Amino acid sequence: MGAFELNTTISNLRSLRESDLSACDAVYLGNIYCRLFEDNFLERMDDLTEGIARVKDQGLRAYVTSYAAPRNDALPKVQIALETAAAAGADAVEVHNLGVLRMVHEQFPGMAAHVGGFANVYTDAGAEVLKEYGAVRFTPNYEISLEEMEAIVRGAGIPAELQVHGKMPLGVSDYCFLLEYEQHWPEKCPVLCQKQLFLKQGDWAMRSVGKGVLSGKDLCMLEHLPALMDAGHRVFRIEAAYETPAYRLQIAQVYRAALERALAGDGTVDESAWQAIREHTAVGLCNGFYFGRTGSEYVGKRVEAATAC
Amino acid sequence: MVELLAPAGNLEMVKAAVESGANAIYVGARGWSRRRDAFELSDEQVHDAVGIAHAGGVKLRVAVNTNMQSCELPALLEKMEKFVGWGVDGAIMTDVGAIAQVHRRFPHLVLHASIGANIVNNQDVAFYRSIGVSQVVADTKLTLRELASRQVDLDTGIEILIHANNCYTYLGKCWMSPYHRLERTTDNFGKDLFRGSPNRGGLDYRVCLEDWDLFDGKALLEPHIALKNDAFFYLDDIPALIELGVHCLKIQGREYPVPLVASIVRFYRELIDAYVAKPAEQAFDLTPWRLRLEALRAERDSRRGNMTLVLLNEARQPVPHTA
Repeated sequence: MGAFELNTTISNLRSLRESDLSACDAVYLGNIYCRLFEDNFLERMDDLTEGIARVKDQGLRAYVTSYAAPRNDALPKVQIALETAAAAGADAVEVHNLGVLRMVHEQFPGMAAHVGGFANVYTDAGAEVLKEYGAVRFTPNYEISLEEMEAIVRGAGIPAELQVHGKMPLGVSDYCFLLEYEQHWPEKCPVLCQKQLFLKQGDWAMRSVGKGVLSGKDLCMLEHLPALMDAGHRVFRIEAAYETPAYRLQIAQVYRAALERALAGDGTVDESAWQAIREHTAVGLCNGFYFGRTGSEYVGKRVEAATAC
Repeated sequence: MVELLAPAGNLEMVKAAVESGANAIYVGARGWSRRRDAFELSDEQVHDAVGIAHAGGVKLRVAVNTNMQSCELPALLEKMEKFVGWGVDGAIMTDVGAIAQVHRRFPHLVLHASIGANIVNNQDVAFYRSIGVSQVVADTKLTLRELASRQVDLDTGIEILIHANNCYTYLGKCWMSPYHRLERTTDNFGKDLFRGSPNRGGLDYRVCLEDWDLFDGKALLEPHIALKNDAFFYLDDIPALIELGVHCLKIQGREYPVPLVASIVRFYRELIDAYVAKPAEQAFDLTPWRLRLEALRAERDSRRGNMTLVLLNEARQPVPHTA
């Protein structure tokens, strides 16, 4: 790994082919919410193999994610996806489910395991247990503050991956309510959830992706990157599983430039960066739980960016 | 014989649950369980609850199932030292690190993986068993077929929630509530209460039950979207669960009034006893039980609906910032 890693998420081969990943260092392949998502990498092993090769051919690291809440009936497919990832030379697998972590540990002992945000790492003791199961990196539960995260990293001796931009996961279900209504609309499953669907009430908004609930606002840590790097964090994610290739490219370019500047001790952010972020923000910006506050709040100088969209 | 596990949000409810026929009772340690502090017990009350339960021949478990902070683990172990010394029969927990530490310190204490652990497959069960858990609460979304497969494959005990909420999202994997409002407060003992985060021991504002409108970008696509979140009572599946050999039927409801909880416990006690006592070849008629349950359901729904309105209103209130 270079001085830092900036990664992103892509759900299927079509989106991967359309994406310019020149600003990224690594990619997580697969959609963690729904087996029916259009040509989900995790259900199409030929696509997954090609996807891993495409990513690696660009000199990037290829990671394969796995489902957030796999029931027994999904485990055989998870098993096949893990086998495919190993055979195709994936650099790591991401696990959100502790049963799947156990599968990776027992059956693929050479495979690096990244623990995902749905695995509920809240404590250093928890991270230590998962480290014993082969975890080499973890995304803390999304409710964790930066202060708590530092205690986990320090206590467990395992690096954290931080989402720095994009819709933040708020929940996962076994049920897609969109299916109840799709007969009213021209788009149907499996592409319906890729529309810009928002659940709104008053000033509340959440992005709906069917079985997944995401923040309406985009989590944005752009002006806090120097502090994150000062704290020793080096792995950053732009969450874009339901975003367009343009979003993936332009947001990644903004963050790569800002991270390189932060690394050089320059914490400034170009106005053009904020303009790019505004163009790709439907509801506003937030900081999630990083500052120990309500997840939809924004803390920083660019408060207008949080509410003006 | 299947165990009937009852909730208790105060000492009066502990007594009522004993008198109503529970085999075991669980209470939450104040600041450390998945309910607001009004329905949790102080350490001294946990001590008294153990005495009341054991005098009635009933087991007493303590829920310490918040997703806590790293810095709180020593305090948890200190608390558990007291509870174990007082004779609690088990602990209900979520955080894997806390489970591992408690198991190392108290290897003979029976540990139950909480509903918040969101155990959804057999590999999950095996994982939790490997860190010291001997009984797991099944996620409310699992089917009887999935539960049956556990009995075949695993020797870990299963607890089934027979009165609880079935949220839109998986329990333990939802942050909708604190995304809309999170208030950090500390109790008199310095415990952070995370008001708004059910996973961290604060109350859940139930924002999923808001009357949502669905927009495609800025265009209204569908008004009045209801995300499914139902409170349920098991009835039709109770005979099958008993036949399946599940270890424990668990009732949630520490937040309800004592008489209502007592009535629910008594209802299930009598139902289980009647089913177990009937000759094997005789059919079991659930019709009279269904009628009794309707009255309980009406009272529960009325109270739950009122509470939801209060919580949604509170969720709209600004958070006083101290920072």
